[in-house]
Amino acid sequence: MLIITVLGIILVVLGLWGMLTQKNIIKIIIGFSIMDTGTHLLIVSIGYIKDRTAPIMDKAVGNASQVIDPVPSALVLTAIVIGLAVTALMLTYAIKLFEIRKSLDINDFKELKW
Amino acid sequence: MVNPIYIFIIALGVGFLLSLFEKAGKILTMTVFYSALAIMTFISGQWLIALIRGTEIMTLTTAGFPPPFSINLRMGLEEAFFTFFINSLGILAGIFLAPKFRSEKVYGMVLYLMMFMGMNGLVMTRDMFNLFVFMEITSVATVSLIAIDRNLKSVSAGFKYVIASGLASTFFLLGTIFLYRFTGLLNIEMMAEALNYASGQAVFLSVFILLISIIIELKPFPANGWALDVYEAADCGVVSVIAAGVSAAMLYVFIKISALLNQNLMITAAGIGTVTFLFSNLLALKQDNARRLLGYSSIGQIGLIYSAFSFFRLAGFTPGDQTVLLVVGGLFVNHFFAKAGLFWLAGIVKKDKSDEWAGLRSSPLLLFAFAVFILALAGLPPFPGFFAKWQLVMVLSAKGMFPAIGFILLGSFLEAIYLFRWLGKVLKTDPFEPIKIKPWEAFPVAVYLLAIILTGGFLSGIINQGSSLSVLYLPVLFVIVLFMLDFLPVLVKNSLVIVVFSYYTFRIMPQLSGYRIMFGIIFLLGGILLFIPGYIKKGRRLGFYPLAVMMYVGLAGLLLSENTLQFFTSWELMTLGSYFLIIRGKKSEPHALSYMLFSMGGAFVMLLGFGVLYHVNGHLLELATLARIPDMTGIIYSLLTLGFLTKMASIGLHIWLPGAHGEAETDVSPMVSAILLKAGMFGMVVLMSAIPAVKIGFIDIPYVLGWLGAITIFLGNLLAIYQEDAKRLLAYSSVGNLGYVLFGLALMSHLGWLTSITYALNHFLFKAMLFLAIGGVVYRVGTKNMYEMGGLIKNMPISFISVLIGIIALSGVPPLSGFAGKWLTYNAILQKGWYLQGAVVIIGGLIAFLYCFRLIYAVFLGQIKDRNRQVKEAPLALLIPQVILMIAIMVFSVLPGAVLRPVGKFLENIFPAGGLNWQAGTAFTEYGYWNGYWIMMVTGGMFMMVLIWLLFIDRKAQKVKQFNIVYAAERPFRPETTHVGYNFFAHYRKALGSLSRPYVTKFWDTLTDITHSSADFIRKLYNGNGQTYIFHILLFVVVVYFISFGG
Repeated sequence: MLIITVLGIILVVLGLWGMLTQKNIIKIIIGFSIMDTGTHLLIVSIGYIKDRTAPIMDKAVGNASQVIDPVPSALVLTAIVIGLAVTALMLTYAIKLFEIRKSLDINDFKELKW
Repeated sequence: MVNPIYIFIIALGVGFLLSLFEKAGKILTMTVFYSALAIMTFISGQWLIALIRGTEIMTLTTAGFPPPFSINLRMGLEEAFFTFFINSLGILAGIFLAPKFRSEKVYGMVLYLMMFMGMNGLVMTRDMFNLFVFMEITSVATVSLIAIDRNLKSVSAGFKYVIASGLASTFFLLGTIFLYRFTGLLNIEMMAEALNYASGQAVFLSVFILLISIIIELKPFPANGWALDVYEAADCGVVSVIAAGVSAAMLYVFIKISALLNQNLMITAAGIGTVTFLFSNLLALKQDNARRLLGYSSIGQIGLIYSAFSFFRLAGFTPGDQTVLLVVGGLFVNHFFAKAGLFWLAGIVKKDKSDEWAGLRSSPLLLFAFAVFILALAGLPPFPGFFAKWQLVMVLSAKGMFPAIGFILLGSFLEAIYLFRWLGKVLKTDPFEPIKIKPWEAFPVAVYLLAIILTGGFLSGIINQGSSLSVLYLPVLFVIVLFMLDFLPVLVKNSLVIVVFSYYTFRIMPQLSGYRIMFGIIFLLGGILLFIPGYIKKGRRLGFYPLAVMMYVGLAGLLLSENTLQFFTSWELMTLGSYFLIIRGKKSEPHALSYMLFSMGGAFVMLLGFGVLYHVNGHLLELATLARIPDMTGIIYSLLTLGFLTKMASIGLHIWLPGAHGEAETDVSPMVSAILLKAGMFGMVVLMSAIPAVKIGFIDIPYVLGWLGAITIFLGNLLAIYQEDAKRLLAYSSVGNLGYVLFGLALMSHLGWLTSITYALNHFLFKAMLFLAIGGVVYRVGTKNMYEMGGLIKNMPISFISVLIGIIALSGVPPLSGFAGKWLTYNAILQKGWYLQGAVVIIGGLIAFLYCFRLIYAVFLGQIKDRNRQVKEAPLALLIPQVILMIAIMVFSVLPGAVLRPVGKFLENIFPAGGLNWQAGTAFTEYGYWNGYWIMMVTGGMFMMVLIWLLFIDRKAQKVKQFNIVYAAERPFRPETTHVGYNFFAHYRKALGSLSRPYVTKFWDTLTDITHSSADFIRKLYNGNGQTYIFHILLFVVVVYFISFGG
């Protein structure tokens, strides 16, 4: 499961890198989304316990000692939903910004400063 | 009691149902919406009252499981407090936003409810992940509301905000999940117990990430450009909720998670908060956009609040300690009401530039509210911020955290600069456009105005356990009554004030003893006397009486003060009242600002001094402990002295005085000159009578003060001779006169102090008289320039006589009381052996003759100008006090012993030896003797002899017309050609060269320039690019990590 943790960290860094380097607002939002996904992977990887299965209680799983820690899995579902909402909101903003100025370059929105 | 869970149920339920109600019409929808907000407020308010009365804290858990198996919410005192404030803001900001909600679709209201639901959740939840969820709900709703106007500015600001808060919440999530990894828990308290920093760096890093994410939400310097944009661009109603409400919720989140922090991280938080407070206020100096200015101020205030909390935790206080609640709560409440109110005012005024807010003057209520909010933010009494700041400084002092106090006071001072600049502009800019007031916009402002005043009174009650402030309560109540009676005409109010003030004086005077009696005579009896000239004013004179009385309340408070809190509160009340008196003059705005800044700066230095005193003397407030300071005497002495000297206008700290006194109204000039300056002296007397000798290293401080006094006499008098403006001349002369007072005190001997007190009394008498006489001339002639006057002796004979007596007393020639001062000074100098200083003092005294001559010559003698021929004598209201003062000077001159003997008796307590020996009316020292009565008789006799002789030889003299003269074979026909008035002492200016140059003014100007240009340089950091702001945040995280990890 280490690979998932590493992958999560890579995605977070990658996402941050994208947010810092891309000038296009859509790409910045994509950067944010990648970072968000990386975070979710990290959450999942933290709850993992070796040789155990998903925390879904049905006939295949006999007792609680056979499943991984269910809390992170539950959390990640919420986090994904929230991430979705935030990304949607950001995209709404991108649309509005484009409607007003016909541009998606972040450098074009510097009226407010100092 | 209603279960707090209904707050969420109602917000969510109504939020979803609003769309259905919309079908039934807007009125029903809005009724339901406001009812929901009202019920939410009711629930938290009900809990607040119940919890204060001692109900048990309520804990809510999901599905009936105890934590850690469930999410739990808590309704304790803190939660009830924060949710009540937030929800009440919800109603008021909702009312403010009513037209928006009406015109927009129902979604605006839904988002608004979600936002408040999120904030309530942030406050109440005890679960880390739940905190994340509420954080996101709040931020999504907030961001959506920011763009409610859909213009470019608000949309681009909103985008920057959503990116930044997205980043912050990602950090929060990461921190939470790693902490879960290490503790297996999400409940904050349990996590705090289970946390083990020793288990590795990773734990530290996790808590760090969590902390930093919350700090980013609290907008730390410099990672806060995104927030500033929102404050500037979004709708004012929404911004008020962000600045006051969301910040409040996040602040409480910070307080909750502070349980997880170790010492290092607590220091980090305190440091970031302090730096943010300092730099936000610095950068705000260059800001001319009102809302961005408020944004800077908000960010600074929030920084101050969480740094105060962190400092308290570092000092070993538990979060629930009463002192913590008082300070953090006080600062918070102050910020909360003031900032919400100011943002609403921004929405009412609808002007971007802070210079253009003068329209507020068209509504007394809103102007009053604006002034109160500004004063509250500046930390002045009687508002909550003052008491909180006082207590903060005292607690930090007790723990010896002086650098922190230094930063906080410096930040507060920078804040005062822009706040008072703004207030001045609003009060004085002309002409202004009246604003249109809508009731739903004014109502919320009025509610918070009332709230901030009431909480101020409430806090003063809590802090005032020793009941030392209660002597101020009734007088302050009278000030409030005067505000309410402000609609009455001057005649009524002036009489009312004189009657009440006389009664108060009659009650207070018997309580005074020692030197306080002398100051009581000047402050109180003098105060009553100087209200008489007020009768010359017509109309209502709005705002004058309450604030003038406030100044006297402060002065009376000083007289009665037994401890430092009472002293400082009175001092600030006095400053506050006098500021509003000074700024009433037509051109007074810049001078009032400079007066206020010197006063505030001095007050903060003084506060630090009281803090150090509190630190060393075993945490006592009593002023009497000044006399038994075990340690750091020099520091305390210097700090307090510096504070007092700003009010005494010693050279270097004097530049506010000429403008402030010179431009003030006719009856205000004597008040602020003859009376107010003595407040600084009073402070010095309190200090010096308690500490007889003090040295820092090998420097003897009174010796330094002696030189300072001597130089002040010299330069003050020198600058006075160059003035064209009669009132400025008198003002500079006050600088010199107060130099004598300081010099006398610094001698630290019986005679020295006697000199000083004689001078103080004299200065009160003659300066009040001179300002009234010259004020009367200016009132009639309509100009203050002396070269436009001249020859007024026949038109204004009584004013002439009072100026004549005034300058005789001032210059210290026999037979009047000024001579007593001079005689005593020279004796005291000889006794002390300060010959060099003595020479400077004597030369300074000689210079005084020059301006005295100029004053009487240029105004009353010489040739009358054509346009002044019809000028009449000054009004009776100005003449009566002059006559009274004249009589007082005469009595004091003939019978100096009546005053000097009791003063000497008292001084024997401090300086037993070296006083005057009295034999009947004659005073003896080792150098000679002096008898006021005989001097008067001899001088008077000589005068009469000369007069009779002149009358005798001149009996053939005949009256001539004005131009019956010949000058250099030329017959002048215009008065101007025979009356030298302009640039009277030009030759002295040339001769003295560099001595007359304004070095001090240049020094302060340069300091101001440097401060402003550095502010301008640093704020370029916020280049407006959203991406740069992301970079700021990341860089901030990295840098802070290395600092807190390393330190």
